[in-house]
Amino acid sequence: MSERFIPAISTDEIAPGGMKSVELEGHEIVICNCDGAYYAIQRRCGHMNAPLELGTLDGRFVTCAMHCAQFDVTTGQALSGPVPADVGNESLPPRLAAFLQHVGALMKDVRTESLRTYETKVEAGWVHVAT
Amino acid sequence: MEAESRKKALHYFFDKVVGPLGFKFTPDAELMDFLLEQEVMLEAKHGIPFCPCQPLRHDRARDMQIVCPCIPFHRKHFDAIKRCWCGLFVHKDVVDPDSLPQLSPKDVGLE
Amino acid sequence: MKRVSMYTLSTCPWCRKAKKFFAERNIPFTYIDYDLADDATQEKIMQELDAAGVTGFPYVKIGDEVISGYQPERYSGALRL
Repeated sequence: MSERFIPAISTDEIAPGGMKSVELEGHEIVICNCDGAYYAIQRRCGHMNAPLELGTLDGRFVTCAMHCAQFDVTTGQALSGPVPADVGNESLPPRLAAFLQHVGALMKDVRTESLRTYETKVEAGWVHVAT
Repeated sequence: MEAESRKKALHYFFDKVVGPLGFKFTPDAELMDFLLEQEVMLEAKHGIPFCPCQPLRHDRARDMQIVCPCIPFHRKHFDAIKRCWCGLFVHKDVVDPDSLPQLSPKDVGLE
Repeated sequence: MKRVSMYTLSTCPWCRKAKKFFAERNIPFTYIDYDLADDATQEKIMQELDAAGVTGFPYVKIGDEVISGYQPERYSGALRL
């Protein structure tokens, strides 16, 4: 089955080190400019779905803004999971404490999955993505 | 999550931080590999790559001071001994890391 | 023979070297891996380290002498080797 490359974004829309989110045929995709090489990854973080274009791109590594999970955009590989937040140690109102404890118990099984990646090519000043 | 890829990523991030502080990765490749592997394990367990050679106090403010690279929190000490505590990083001019003993702050007249 | 005991971390290569130093010389020693100990033991260990003004592992006690860090020459000196 041959892949269909769809023109997604013009190359001058993302500066090196930048990311931009596009939607192509129902796929939410983030295109990353890694020093002039373009990579396309699924938009949703493999941890808890946050939009990755809101995170940071450093070299080939993207860090999610929500809990700092990190991924290699060239392979989609999940490299590290969430970083525990600093919530201080003040005591909470009882109902809030109970709710957070409940959510915490559910979140114990949440894993950070690797990202789907999409093939890209640059042609005539446009980044094309195969969906 | 796969350890080798994570070690490479940590190497990339740490290199950029320690350079401006006057440090580099130890030339002892085996030690570097071992320590990074321990940090990947600690990160998998705690969510943060802590120093493999310093104790976690379960007090966030204090534990943040041993997040690798922890050089900024121990600058005087590490500059005096030309290495960080676990030896992952050494001063840029160090070619023989085995010659650097693991001296405590008291041993070098600090604290 | 002075009593040798140490607090170590299972993740620390210098702690392993410290244990090896004494094992190779057939010098008996006891140790606790801090990171594998329960909360109460960890609390006790940290109190001792704080009292001694020490933060790094390995924490080696030879008789009354406390040596922080992997320092084989000082171990030998303390044991009169």
